[in-house]
Amino acid sequence: MNNLHAKTLDIINLNVTLPNGHRLLRDVSLSLDPGEVRALVGESGAGKSMIGKAVLGILPTGISISQGEILLEGTHLNALTPATRRKTIAQTSALIPQDPLTALNPVRKIGPQITDPLTRIHGWTKARALARTRELLDRVHIRNPDRVLNSYPHELSGGMRQRILIAAAFAPSPRLIVADEPTTALDVTVQKEILRLIRELQRETGTGVLFVTHDMGVVAKISQKVTVLFGGRVVEDAPTHRIFENPEHAYTRALIAATPTPNASTEPFRPVPPALIAELHREIQADDDRFSKRAHR
Amino acid sequence: MVDATYSPRPMRFKIRNLRLWLPLLWIVTLIIAAVFAPIFAPHDPLAQDLMLERLPPFFIDGSEPGHLLGTDSLGRDVLSRMIYGARIALFVSVIAAFSTGIFGSTLGLIAGYYGGWWDRVISRLVDIWMAFPPVLFAVLLVAVIGTGLTSVIFAIALIDWTRFARVIRAETMVQAQMDYVDSARIGGARRMATLLSEILPNVLPSIIALLALEMGIAVIVEAILSFVNLSISSDDPTWGSMISEGRGAIHFAWWVLLFPLIALFLTVLSFSTLGEGLKKQFDPVLK
Ligand SMILES: Nc1ncnc2c1ncn2[C@@H]1O[C@H](COP(=O)(O)OP(=O)(O)O)[C@@H](O)[C@H]1O
Ligand SMILES: [Mg+2]
Repeated sequence: MNNLHAKTLDIINLNVTLPNGHRLLRDVSLSLDPGEVRALVGESGAGKSMIGKAVLGILPTGISISQGEILLEGTHLNALTPATRRKTIAQTSALIPQDPLTALNPVRKIGPQITDPLTRIHGWTKARALARTRELLDRVHIRNPDRVLNSYPHELSGGMRQRILIAAAFAPSPRLIVADEPTTALDVTVQKEILRLIRELQRETGTGVLFVTHDMGVVAKISQKVTVLFGGRVVEDAPTHRIFENPEHAYTRALIAATPTPNASTEPFRPVPPALIAELHREIQADDDRFSKRAHR
Repeated sequence: MVDATYSPRPMRFKIRNLRLWLPLLWIVTLIIAAVFAPIFAPHDPLAQDLMLERLPPFFIDGSEPGHLLGTDSLGRDVLSRMIYGARIALFVSVIAAFSTGIFGSTLGLIAGYYGGWWDRVISRLVDIWMAFPPVLFAVLLVAVIGTGLTSVIFAIALIDWTRFARVIRAETMVQAQMDYVDSARIGGARRMATLLSEILPNVLPSIIALLALEMGIAVIVEAILSFVNLSISSDDPTWGSMISEGRGAIHFAWWVLLFPLIALFLTVLSFSTLGEGLKKQFDPVLK
Protein backbone atom coordinates (compact mmCIF):
# COMPACT_ATOMS: atom_id res chain seq x y z
CA MET A 1 0.00 0.00 0.00
CA ASN A 2 2.69 2.48 0.96
CA ASN A 3 5.30 3.55 -1.49
CA LEU A 4 8.65 2.95 0.18
CA HIS A 5 10.28 5.75 -1.76
CA ALA A 6 7.55 8.23 -1.05
CA LYS A 7 7.99 11.21 1.17
CA THR A 8 6.53 10.81 4.65
CA LEU A 9 4.40 13.86 4.06
CA ASP A 10 3.73 15.97 1.03
CA ILE A 11 1.45 18.98 1.24
CA ILE A 12 0.65 20.60 -2.10
CA ASN A 13 -1.05 23.99 -2.38
CA LEU A 14 -3.18 23.43 0.69
CA ASN A 15 -5.98 25.90 1.31
CA VAL A 16 -7.96 25.65 4.52
CA THR A 17 -11.06 27.78 4.72
CA LEU A 18 -13.69 29.02 7.16
CA PRO A 19 -17.37 28.54 6.19
CA ASN A 20 -17.49 32.19 5.07
CA GLY A 21 -14.68 31.52 2.58
CA HIS A 22 -11.95 33.22 4.61
CA ARG A 23 -8.68 31.35 4.13
CA LEU A 24 -6.69 30.30 7.19
CA LEU A 25 -4.05 28.53 5.06
CA ARG A 26 -3.08 30.00 1.69
CA ASP A 27 -1.52 27.68 -0.88
CA VAL A 28 0.74 26.03 1.66
CA SER A 29 3.20 23.49 0.26
CA LEU A 30 5.80 21.58 2.18
CA SER A 31 7.24 18.10 2.39
CA LEU A 32 8.88 15.88 4.91
CA ASP A 33 11.35 13.10 4.20
CA PRO A 34 11.41 9.98 6.35
CA GLY A 35 13.24 10.64 9.61
CA GLU A 36 13.39 14.36 8.99
CA VAL A 37 12.42 17.10 11.43
CA ARG A 38 10.81 20.13 9.87
CA ALA A 39 10.08 23.16 12.00
CA LEU A 40 6.99 25.26 11.33
CA VAL A 41 7.69 28.74 12.67
CA GLY A 42 5.73 31.92 12.76
CA GLU A 43 3.92 34.16 15.16
CA SER A 44 0.79 33.15 16.98
CA GLY A 45 -2.08 32.81 14.49
CA ALA A 46 0.21 32.14 11.53
CA GLY A 47 -1.55 28.84 10.85
CA LYS A 48 1.08 26.45 12.21
CA SER A 49 -1.37 24.35 14.21
CA MET A 50 -3.89 24.45 11.37
CA ILE A 51 -1.40 22.64 9.13
CA GLY A 52 -0.98 19.90 11.71
CA LYS A 53 -4.73 19.62 12.17
CA ALA A 54 -5.35 19.38 8.44
CA VAL A 55 -2.79 16.60 8.15
CA LEU A 56 -4.17 14.67 11.11
CA GLY A 57 -7.79 15.13 10.05
CA ILE A 58 -8.84 17.04 13.15
CA LEU A 59 -9.82 20.40 11.68
CA PRO A 60 -12.46 22.09 13.89
CA THR A 61 -16.05 21.72 12.66
CA GLY A 62 -16.81 24.18 9.90
CA ILE A 63 -13.17 24.57 8.88
CA SER A 64 -12.33 22.52 5.84
CA ILE A 65 -9.79 21.87 3.13
CA SER A 66 -11.04 23.84 0.12
CA GLN A 67 -8.16 23.07 -2.22
CA GLY A 68 -4.94 21.17 -2.33
CA GLU A 69 -3.54 17.76 -1.61
CA ILE A 70 -2.11 16.00 1.39
CA LEU A 71 -0.09 12.86 0.70
CA LEU A 72 0.75 10.69 3.66
CA GLU A 73 3.39 8.11 2.70
CA GLY A 74 2.32 8.59 -0.89
CA THR A 75 -1.38 8.11 -0.20
CA HIS A 76 -3.70 10.91 -1.28
CA LEU A 77 -5.76 11.53 1.84
CA ASN A 78 -8.48 13.44 -0.05
CA ALA A 79 -9.14 10.44 -2.24
CA LEU A 80 -10.00 8.19 0.70
CA THR A 81 -13.36 7.68 2.36
CA PRO A 82 -13.52 9.29 5.83
CA ALA A 83 -13.25 5.90 7.56
CA THR A 84 -10.25 4.78 5.51
CA ARG A 85 -8.63 8.17 5.91
CA ARG A 86 -9.01 7.93 9.68
CA LYS A 87 -7.48 4.49 9.69
CA THR A 88 -4.59 5.54 7.44
CA ILE A 89 -3.83 8.52 9.65
CA ALA A 90 -4.11 6.46 12.82
CA GLN A 91 -1.76 3.81 11.46
CA THR A 92 0.93 6.25 10.38
CA SER A 93 0.68 9.33 12.55
CA ALA A 94 0.60 10.65 16.08
CA LEU A 95 0.35 13.99 17.85
CA ILE A 96 2.34 15.47 20.68
CA PRO A 97 0.00 18.25 21.73
CA GLN A 98 0.73 21.65 23.17
CA ASP A 99 -1.12 21.49 26.45
CA PRO A 100 -0.37 18.35 28.46
CA LEU A 101 -3.25 19.23 30.77
CA THR A 102 -6.09 18.84 28.29
CA ALA A 103 -4.38 16.26 26.09
CA LEU A 104 -5.14 13.47 28.54
CA ASN A 105 -8.70 12.62 29.45
CA PRO A 106 -9.10 13.66 33.10
CA VAL A 107 -11.52 10.88 34.03
CA ARG A 108 -9.64 7.97 32.46
CA LYS A 109 -6.56 6.22 33.76
CA ILE A 110 -3.34 6.86 31.87
CA GLY A 111 -2.78 3.19 30.94
CA PRO A 112 -5.74 2.58 28.63
CA GLN A 113 -5.34 6.03 27.12
CA ILE A 114 -1.94 4.96 25.79
CA THR A 115 -2.69 1.34 24.97
CA ASP A 116 -6.13 1.85 23.34
CA PRO A 117 -4.76 3.02 19.96
CA LEU A 118 -2.13 0.27 19.99
CA THR A 119 -4.69 -2.49 20.37
CA ARG A 120 -7.39 -0.81 18.31
CA ILE A 121 -5.46 0.36 15.29
CA HIS A 122 -2.24 -1.59 15.28
CA GLY A 123 -3.96 -4.79 16.30
CA TRP A 124 -1.51 -5.54 19.09
CA THR A 125 -2.43 -7.80 21.98
CA LYS A 126 -3.01 -6.16 25.32
CA ALA A 127 0.22 -7.68 26.65
CA ARG A 128 2.30 -6.43 23.75
CA ALA A 129 0.79 -2.95 24.01
CA LEU A 130 1.54 -2.85 27.73
CA ALA A 131 5.09 -4.09 27.29
CA ARG A 132 5.80 -1.50 24.61
CA THR A 133 4.23 1.24 26.72
CA ARG A 134 6.37 0.28 29.73
CA GLU A 135 9.44 0.30 27.49
CA LEU A 136 8.65 3.78 26.23
CA LEU A 137 7.82 5.13 29.69
CA ASP A 138 11.20 3.87 30.77
CA ARG A 139 12.80 5.63 27.80
CA VAL A 140 11.29 8.94 28.89
CA HIS A 141 12.65 8.34 32.39
CA ILE A 142 9.46 7.51 34.21
CA ARG A 143 10.59 5.40 37.08
CA ASN A 144 7.50 3.52 38.22
CA PRO A 145 5.56 2.87 35.03
CA ASP A 146 2.93 0.65 36.62
CA ARG A 147 2.00 3.25 39.17
CA VAL A 148 1.77 5.87 36.41
CA LEU A 149 -0.35 3.63 34.20
CA ASN A 150 -2.81 3.31 37.07
CA SER A 151 -2.92 7.04 37.76
CA TYR A 152 -5.28 9.73 36.61
CA PRO A 153 -3.75 12.69 34.78
CA HIS A 154 -4.31 15.18 37.59
CA GLU A 155 -2.15 13.10 39.89
CA LEU A 156 0.93 13.88 37.79
CA SER A 157 2.94 17.03 37.15
CA GLY A 158 2.89 18.88 33.83
CA GLY A 159 6.38 17.74 32.85
CA MET A 160 5.49 14.14 33.63
CA ARG A 161 2.29 14.32 31.60
CA GLN A 162 4.22 15.70 28.64
CA ARG A 163 6.73 12.85 28.88
CA ILE A 164 3.82 10.40 28.96
CA LEU A 165 2.38 12.01 25.83
CA ILE A 166 5.74 11.69 24.11
CA ALA A 167 5.90 8.03 25.08
CA ALA A 168 2.35 7.52 23.81
CA ALA A 169 3.12 9.22 20.50
CA PHE A 170 6.25 7.17 19.85
CA ALA A 171 4.87 3.86 21.13
CA PRO A 172 3.59 2.59 17.75
CA SER A 173 6.76 3.90 15.99
CA PRO A 174 4.70 6.13 13.71
CA ARG A 175 6.05 7.42 10.40
CA LEU A 176 4.89 10.95 11.22
CA ILE A 177 4.57 12.89 14.44
CA VAL A 178 3.09 16.36 14.64
CA ALA A 179 4.57 18.05 17.71
CA ASP A 180 2.52 21.21 18.33
CA GLU A 181 4.57 23.49 20.56
CA PRO A 182 5.25 20.59 22.92
CA THR A 183 7.38 22.67 25.25
CA THR A 184 5.50 25.97 25.31
CA ALA A 185 3.41 25.15 28.37
CA LEU A 186 6.41 23.94 30.38
CA ASP A 187 9.03 25.78 32.37
CA VAL A 188 12.49 26.24 30.93
CA THR A 189 14.31 23.47 32.76
CA VAL A 190 11.71 20.90 31.72
CA GLN A 191 11.65 22.25 28.14
CA LYS A 192 15.23 21.20 27.52
CA GLU A 193 14.66 17.66 28.68
CA ILE A 194 11.50 17.31 26.62
CA LEU A 195 13.30 18.55 23.50
CA ARG A 196 16.14 16.12 24.08
CA LEU A 197 13.70 13.22 24.53
CA ILE A 198 11.87 14.00 21.31
CA ARG A 199 15.17 14.31 19.46
CA GLU A 200 16.46 10.98 20.82
CA LEU A 201 13.30 9.02 20.19
CA GLN A 202 12.91 10.56 16.76
CA ARG A 203 16.39 9.37 15.79
CA GLU A 204 15.82 5.89 17.20
CA THR A 205 12.50 5.33 15.51
CA GLY A 206 13.29 7.21 12.30
CA THR A 207 10.04 9.11 12.62
CA GLY A 208 9.46 12.23 10.56
CA VAL A 209 8.43 15.17 12.73
CA LEU A 210 6.54 18.35 11.95
CA PHE A 211 7.68 20.49 14.83
CA VAL A 212 5.50 23.52 15.45
CA THR A 213 7.14 26.33 17.41
CA HIS A 214 7.43 30.08 17.56
CA ASP A 215 10.89 29.90 19.11
CA MET A 216 13.82 30.22 16.68
CA GLY A 217 16.10 28.91 19.43
CA VAL A 218 14.21 25.62 19.42
CA VAL A 219 14.25 25.57 15.62
CA ALA A 220 18.04 25.67 15.63
CA LYS A 221 18.26 22.82 18.12
CA ILE A 222 15.85 20.33 16.63
CA SER A 223 15.18 20.72 12.92
CA GLN A 224 16.87 20.10 9.59
CA LYS A 225 14.32 22.06 7.57
CA VAL A 226 12.24 25.12 8.32
CA THR A 227 9.00 26.50 6.98
CA VAL A 228 8.40 30.11 7.98
CA LEU A 229 4.74 31.12 7.98
CA PHE A 230 2.90 34.38 8.14
CA GLY A 231 -0.85 34.82 7.85
CA GLY A 232 -1.34 31.25 6.63
CA ARG A 233 1.25 31.70 3.87
CA VAL A 234 4.66 30.17 3.46
CA VAL A 235 7.15 33.02 3.64
CA GLU A 236 10.30 30.93 3.36
CA ASP A 237 11.19 27.26 3.14
CA ALA A 238 14.82 26.28 3.56
CA PRO A 239 17.27 24.00 5.36
CA THR A 240 17.77 25.12 8.94
CA HIS A 241 21.43 26.10 8.53
CA ARG A 242 20.55 28.31 5.59
CA ILE A 243 17.71 29.95 7.51
CA PHE A 244 20.17 31.05 10.14
CA GLU A 245 23.24 31.73 7.99
CA ASN A 246 21.60 33.29 5.00
CA PRO A 247 17.89 34.00 5.48
CA GLU A 248 16.26 35.13 2.26
CA HIS A 249 13.14 36.84 3.46
CA ALA A 250 13.14 39.99 5.56
CA TYR A 251 10.49 38.44 7.81
CA THR A 252 12.75 35.47 8.58
CA ARG A 253 15.56 37.84 9.46
CA ALA A 254 13.19 39.80 11.66
CA LEU A 255 12.06 36.62 13.45
CA ILE A 256 15.67 35.64 14.12
CA ALA A 257 16.47 39.12 15.33
CA ALA A 258 13.45 39.08 17.61
CA THR A 259 14.61 35.88 19.31
CA PRO A 260 15.98 36.57 22.78
CA THR A 261 19.67 35.57 22.91
CA PRO A 262 21.49 34.24 26.00
CA ASN A 263 22.81 37.76 26.60
CA ALA A 264 19.38 39.25 26.17
CA SER A 265 19.98 41.69 29.01
CA THR A 266 22.75 43.49 27.06
CA GLU A 267 21.17 43.32 23.59
CA PRO A 268 17.96 45.22 22.98
CA PHE A 269 14.87 43.18 22.04
CA ARG A 270 13.99 43.86 18.41
CA PRO A 271 10.39 43.17 17.49
CA VAL A 272 9.33 42.60 13.88
CA PRO A 273 9.11 46.07 12.26
CA PRO A 274 5.50 47.24 11.65
CA ALA A 275 6.35 48.30 8.09
CA LEU A 276 7.32 44.72 7.28
CA ILE A 277 4.08 43.38 8.80
CA ALA A 278 2.09 45.86 6.71
CA GLU A 279 3.96 44.76 3.59
CA LEU A 280 3.17 41.10 4.34
CA HIS A 281 -0.51 41.92 4.83
CA ARG A 282 -0.57 43.67 1.43
CA GLU A 283 0.90 40.56 -0.16
CA ILE A 284 -1.79 38.44 1.50
CA GLN A 285 -4.50 40.78 0.24
CA ALA A 286 -3.18 40.61 -3.32
CA ASP A 287 -2.95 36.86 -2.97
CA ASP A 288 -6.55 36.59 -1.75
CA ASP A 289 -7.75 38.75 -4.66
CA ARG A 290 -6.02 36.44 -7.13
CA PHE A 291 -7.48 33.45 -5.30
CA SER A 292 -11.06 34.71 -5.47
CA LYS A 293 -10.69 35.54 -9.17
CA ARG A 294 -9.41 32.04 -9.74
CA ALA A 295 -12.39 30.66 -7.81
CA HIS A 296 -14.90 32.75 -9.76
CA ARG A 297 -13.65 31.80 -13.16
CA MET B 1 8.07 13.02 40.23
CA VAL B 2 4.50 13.08 41.40
CA ASP B 3 2.98 16.35 42.51
CA ALA B 4 3.42 17.10 46.19
CA THR B 5 -0.26 17.94 46.38
CA TYR B 6 -1.38 14.42 45.75
CA SER B 7 -5.10 14.72 45.30
CA PRO B 8 -7.58 11.96 46.02
CA ARG B 9 -8.59 9.55 43.31
CA PRO B 10 -11.73 10.50 41.46
CA MET B 11 -15.06 8.78 41.96
CA ARG B 12 -14.21 7.89 45.54
CA PHE B 13 -16.98 8.84 47.88
CA LYS B 14 -15.51 11.13 50.49
CA ILE B 15 -17.28 12.27 53.63
CA ARG B 16 -17.29 15.97 53.04
CA ASN B 17 -19.91 17.68 55.11
CA LEU B 18 -23.46 17.81 56.30
CA ARG B 19 -24.64 19.47 53.12
CA LEU B 20 -24.26 16.10 51.51
CA TRP B 21 -25.15 13.83 54.39
CA LEU B 22 -28.35 15.45 55.61
CA PRO B 23 -30.10 15.32 52.23
CA LEU B 24 -28.87 11.80 51.76
CA LEU B 25 -30.21 10.81 55.18
CA TRP B 26 -33.63 12.23 54.35
CA ILE B 27 -33.79 10.54 50.97
CA VAL B 28 -32.64 7.18 52.31
CA THR B 29 -35.26 7.43 55.07
CA LEU B 30 -37.81 8.19 52.42
CA ILE B 31 -36.72 5.27 50.27
CA ILE B 32 -36.87 2.84 53.20
CA ALA B 33 -40.26 4.17 54.24
CA ALA B 34 -41.51 3.87 50.67
CA VAL B 35 -40.22 0.37 50.05
CA PHE B 36 -41.42 -0.99 53.37
CA ALA B 37 -44.55 1.13 53.52
CA PRO B 38 -46.81 -1.78 54.55
CA ILE B 39 -44.53 -2.45 57.52
CA PHE B 40 -43.94 1.11 58.65
CA ALA B 41 -47.37 2.58 58.05
CA PRO B 42 -49.34 2.15 61.26
CA HIS B 43 -52.67 2.12 59.39
CA ASP B 44 -54.24 1.41 56.06
CA PRO B 45 -53.81 4.72 54.21
CA LEU B 46 -57.30 4.41 52.74
CA ALA B 47 -59.12 3.28 55.85
CA GLN B 48 -61.68 5.86 56.90
CA ASP B 49 -62.98 6.13 60.43
CA LEU B 50 -65.46 8.91 60.86
CA MET B 51 -65.32 8.45 64.64
CA LEU B 52 -61.69 9.54 64.54
CA GLU B 53 -61.83 12.45 62.12
CA ARG B 54 -59.44 15.38 62.46
CA LEU B 55 -57.44 14.02 65.35
CA PRO B 56 -54.50 16.35 66.06
CA PRO B 57 -50.85 15.21 66.04
CA PHE B 58 -49.25 13.69 69.13
CA PHE B 59 -47.99 16.90 70.69
CA ILE B 60 -51.43 18.48 70.94
CA ASP B 61 -54.14 17.72 73.47
CA GLY B 62 -56.81 15.35 72.24
CA SER B 63 -54.49 13.21 70.13
CA GLU B 64 -54.78 9.44 69.91
CA PRO B 65 -51.67 7.34 70.53
CA GLY B 66 -52.21 5.32 67.33
CA HIS B 67 -52.26 8.41 65.10
CA LEU B 68 -48.87 10.08 65.48
CA LEU B 69 -49.48 12.87 63.01
CA GLY B 70 -53.26 12.97 63.44
CA THR B 71 -56.03 12.15 60.99
CA ASP B 72 -57.77 13.99 58.19
CA SER B 73 -61.41 14.95 57.65
CA LEU B 74 -62.30 11.36 56.81
CA GLY B 75 -60.43 9.94 59.78
CA ARG B 76 -57.55 8.58 57.68
CA ASP B 77 -54.14 8.39 59.33
CA VAL B 78 -51.92 11.26 58.08
CA LEU B 79 -48.60 9.49 58.74
CA SER B 80 -49.68 6.35 56.91
CA ARG B 81 -50.88 8.38 53.95
CA MET B 82 -47.60 10.28 53.86
CA ILE B 83 -45.60 7.04 53.88
CA TYR B 84 -47.63 5.64 51.01
CA GLY B 85 -47.39 9.06 49.36
CA ALA B 86 -43.60 8.78 49.49
CA ARG B 87 -43.93 5.63 47.39
CA ILE B 88 -45.70 7.47 44.63
CA ALA B 89 -43.45 10.51 44.90
CA LEU B 90 -40.25 8.46 44.65
CA PHE B 91 -41.56 6.19 41.93
CA VAL B 92 -42.56 9.15 39.81
CA SER B 93 -39.37 11.07 40.48
CA VAL B 94 -37.02 8.21 39.63
CA ILE B 95 -38.80 7.11 36.47
CA ALA B 96 -39.51 10.63 35.29
CA ALA B 97 -36.00 11.93 36.01
CA PHE B 98 -34.33 9.04 34.24
CA SER B 99 -36.54 9.19 31.16
CA THR B 100 -36.09 12.95 31.01
CA GLY B 101 -32.36 12.64 31.61
CA ILE B 102 -31.70 9.92 29.07
CA PHE B 103 -33.71 11.63 26.36
CA GLY B 104 -32.39 15.14 27.00
CA SER B 105 -28.77 14.13 27.55
CA THR B 106 -28.67 12.05 24.39
CA LEU B 107 -29.85 15.00 22.33
CA GLY B 108 -27.47 17.32 24.17
CA LEU B 109 -24.49 15.03 23.54
CA ILE B 110 -25.34 14.70 19.85
CA ALA B 111 -25.90 18.43 19.34
CA GLY B 112 -22.76 19.35 21.28
CA TYR B 113 -20.42 16.90 19.62
CA TYR B 114 -21.69 16.43 16.08
CA GLY B 115 -22.53 20.13 15.69
CA GLY B 116 -23.63 21.40 12.29
CA TRP B 117 -26.99 20.22 11.08
CA TRP B 118 -27.67 18.11 14.19
CA ASP B 119 -26.99 21.05 16.43
CA ARG B 120 -29.16 23.43 14.42
CA VAL B 121 -32.16 21.11 14.49
CA ILE B 122 -31.86 20.16 18.17
CA SER B 123 -31.14 23.69 19.36
CA ARG B 124 -34.08 25.07 17.41
CA LEU B 125 -36.34 22.40 18.87
CA VAL B 126 -35.18 23.33 22.37
CA ASP B 127 -35.90 27.01 21.72
CA ILE B 128 -39.39 26.31 20.43
CA TRP B 129 -40.10 23.93 23.29
CA MET B 130 -39.01 26.40 25.92
CA ALA B 131 -41.35 29.05 24.63
CA PHE B 132 -44.27 27.14 26.23
CA PRO B 133 -45.09 27.90 29.88
CA PRO B 134 -44.25 24.55 31.50
CA VAL B 135 -47.03 24.17 34.05
CA LEU B 136 -49.69 25.10 31.53
CA PHE B 137 -48.03 22.65 29.17
CA ALA B 138 -48.19 19.88 31.78
CA VAL B 139 -51.80 20.53 32.68
CA LEU B 140 -52.85 20.65 29.03
CA LEU B 141 -50.93 17.53 28.27
CA VAL B 142 -52.39 15.48 31.09
CA ALA B 143 -55.80 16.86 30.25
CA VAL B 144 -55.38 15.60 26.69
CA ILE B 145 -53.72 12.22 27.29
CA GLY B 146 -55.64 11.51 30.46
CA THR B 147 -54.77 11.41 34.13
CA GLY B 148 -52.67 8.81 35.86
CA LEU B 149 -49.07 8.24 36.86
CA THR B 150 -47.88 7.33 33.36
CA SER B 151 -49.24 10.59 32.03
CA VAL B 152 -47.55 12.49 34.83
CA ILE B 153 -44.20 10.88 34.05
CA PHE B 154 -44.70 11.43 30.35
CA ALA B 155 -45.57 15.07 30.94
CA ILE B 156 -42.46 15.66 33.02
CA ALA B 157 -40.15 14.07 30.46
CA LEU B 158 -41.80 15.92 27.63
CA ILE B 159 -41.47 19.27 29.34
CA ASP B 160 -38.10 19.05 31.01
CA TRP B 161 -35.83 17.26 28.56
CA THR B 162 -34.73 20.70 27.36
CA ARG B 163 -32.98 21.32 30.69
CA PHE B 164 -30.72 18.32 30.08
CA ALA B 165 -30.33 19.03 26.39
CA ARG B 166 -29.19 22.61 26.98
CA VAL B 167 -26.75 21.98 29.80
CA ILE B 168 -25.27 18.80 28.36
CA ARG B 169 -24.92 20.36 24.91
CA ALA B 170 -22.92 23.24 26.37
CA GLU B 171 -20.71 20.94 28.43
CA THR B 172 -20.18 18.59 25.52
CA MET B 173 -19.07 21.50 23.35
CA VAL B 174 -16.49 22.46 25.96
CA GLN B 175 -15.20 18.89 26.19
CA ALA B 176 -15.18 18.47 22.41
CA GLN B 177 -12.59 21.28 22.21
CA MET B 178 -10.19 19.45 24.49
CA ASP B 179 -7.05 17.97 23.00
CA TYR B 180 -7.80 14.54 24.38
CA VAL B 181 -10.71 14.27 21.95
CA ASP B 182 -8.34 15.00 19.06
CA SER B 183 -5.88 12.48 20.45
CA ALA B 184 -8.56 9.81 20.58
CA ARG B 185 -9.56 10.56 17.00
CA ILE B 186 -5.94 10.45 15.79
CA GLY B 187 -5.71 7.15 17.66
CA GLY B 188 -8.40 5.87 15.34
CA ALA B 189 -11.46 6.08 17.57
CA ARG B 190 -14.78 6.43 15.78
CA ARG B 191 -16.90 9.47 16.51
CA MET B 192 -19.53 7.52 18.42
CA ALA B 193 -16.87 5.74 20.48
CA THR B 194 -15.17 9.05 21.21
CA LEU B 195 -18.46 10.52 22.33
CA LEU B 196 -19.35 7.60 24.57
CA SER B 197 -16.02 6.67 26.10
CA GLU B 198 -14.15 9.99 26.13
CA ILE B 199 -16.70 12.77 26.40
CA LEU B 200 -19.62 11.15 28.22
CA PRO B 201 -17.59 10.29 31.36
CA ASN B 202 -16.62 13.95 31.58
CA VAL B 203 -20.18 15.26 31.42
CA LEU B 204 -21.55 12.52 33.67
CA PRO B 205 -21.15 14.60 36.85
CA SER B 206 -23.44 17.21 35.35
CA ILE B 207 -25.92 14.58 34.24
CA ILE B 208 -26.02 13.15 37.75
CA ALA B 209 -26.47 16.58 39.30
CA LEU B 210 -29.28 17.34 36.87
CA LEU B 211 -30.89 13.97 37.57
CA ALA B 212 -31.05 14.73 41.28
CA LEU B 213 -32.46 18.17 40.56
CA GLU B 214 -34.96 16.65 38.15
CA MET B 215 -36.14 14.20 40.80
CA GLY B 216 -36.95 17.16 43.02
CA ILE B 217 -38.77 18.86 40.18
CA ALA B 218 -40.69 15.67 39.39
CA VAL B 219 -41.88 15.49 43.00
CA ILE B 220 -43.20 19.04 42.74
CA VAL B 221 -44.84 18.52 39.37
CA GLU B 222 -46.52 15.35 40.57
CA ALA B 223 -47.73 17.24 43.64
CA ILE B 224 -49.05 20.08 41.52
CA LEU B 225 -50.86 17.71 39.22
CA SER B 226 -52.30 15.84 42.21
CA PHE B 227 -53.28 19.16 43.71
CA VAL B 228 -55.36 20.01 40.67
CA ASN B 229 -56.60 16.44 40.52
CA LEU B 230 -54.82 15.52 37.31
CA SER B 231 -52.60 12.82 38.71
CA ILE B 232 -53.93 9.48 39.98
CA SER B 233 -57.36 9.18 41.56
CA SER B 234 -57.75 11.50 44.51
CA ASP B 235 -58.35 8.63 46.91
CA ASP B 236 -54.80 7.46 46.47
CA PRO B 237 -52.46 8.96 48.99
CA THR B 238 -50.18 11.44 47.23
CA TRP B 239 -48.61 14.41 48.95
CA GLY B 240 -50.19 16.72 46.44
CA SER B 241 -53.70 15.44 46.99
CA MET B 242 -53.16 15.58 50.77
CA ILE B 243 -52.10 19.20 50.48
CA SER B 244 -55.10 19.86 48.29
CA GLU B 245 -57.51 18.28 50.77
CA GLY B 246 -55.75 19.83 53.73
CA ARG B 247 -56.18 23.26 52.24
CA GLY B 248 -59.96 23.06 52.69
CA ALA B 249 -59.60 22.20 56.35
CA ILE B 250 -56.70 24.47 57.21
CA HIS B 251 -58.56 26.31 59.99
CA PHE B 252 -59.51 23.22 61.96
CA ALA B 253 -56.95 20.62 60.89
CA TRP B 254 -53.81 22.41 59.67
CA TRP B 255 -51.68 19.26 60.15
CA VAL B 256 -53.28 17.57 57.17
CA LEU B 257 -51.76 20.33 55.03
CA LEU B 258 -48.56 21.04 56.92
CA PHE B 259 -46.91 17.61 57.24
CA PRO B 260 -47.04 16.62 53.56
CA LEU B 261 -45.94 20.14 52.70
CA ILE B 262 -42.87 19.75 54.92
CA ALA B 263 -42.12 16.35 53.41
CA LEU B 264 -42.42 17.82 49.92
CA PHE B 265 -40.20 20.76 50.80
CA LEU B 266 -37.51 18.61 52.42
CA THR B 267 -37.51 16.18 49.52
CA VAL B 268 -37.13 18.82 46.86
CA LEU B 269 -34.44 20.61 48.87
CA SER B 270 -32.59 17.34 49.51
CA PHE B 271 -32.58 16.35 45.87
CA SER B 272 -31.20 19.66 44.67
CA THR B 273 -28.58 19.91 47.44
CA LEU B 274 -27.57 16.34 46.80
CA GLY B 275 -27.29 17.08 43.10
CA GLU B 276 -24.85 19.90 43.73
CA GLY B 277 -22.87 17.84 46.22
CA LEU B 278 -22.68 14.82 43.92
CA LYS B 279 -21.46 16.97 41.08
CA LYS B 280 -18.51 18.02 43.20
CA GLN B 281 -17.88 14.48 44.44
CA PHE B 282 -17.79 13.04 40.96
CA ASP B 283 -15.67 15.81 39.53
CA PRO B 284 -12.08 14.58 39.72
CA VAL B 285 -10.46 17.91 39.06
CA LEU B 286 -12.83 19.94 41.27
CA LYS B 287 -13.10 22.88 38.92
N1 LIG C 1 -11.76 27.02 15.55
C1 LIG C 1 -11.41 28.10 14.81
N2 LIG C 1 -12.36 28.84 14.21
C2 LIG C 1 -12.02 29.91 13.48
N3 LIG C 1 -10.77 30.35 13.30
C3 LIG C 1 -9.77 29.65 13.87
C4 LIG C 1 -10.04 28.50 14.66
N4 LIG C 1 -8.87 28.03 15.12
C5 LIG C 1 -7.91 28.85 14.63
N5 LIG C 1 -8.44 29.83 13.89
C6 LIG C 1 -7.72 30.88 13.18
O1 LIG C 1 -6.83 30.27 12.28
C7 LIG C 1 -5.63 30.98 12.22
C8 LIG C 1 -4.47 30.04 12.43
O2 LIG C 1 -4.57 29.47 13.72
P1 LIG C 1 -3.48 28.48 14.28
O3 LIG C 1 -3.12 27.49 13.25
O4 LIG C 1 -3.99 27.95 15.57
O5 LIG C 1 -2.26 29.47 14.55
P2 LIG C 1 -0.87 29.10 15.23
O6 LIG C 1 0.15 29.43 14.20
O7 LIG C 1 -0.75 30.03 16.39
O8 LIG C 1 -0.89 27.68 15.63
C9 LIG C 1 -5.70 32.07 13.28
O9 LIG C 1 -5.94 33.28 12.65
C10 LIG C 1 -6.85 31.69 14.13
O10 LIG C 1 -7.53 32.82 14.59
MG1 LIG D 1 -0.84 26.86 17.55
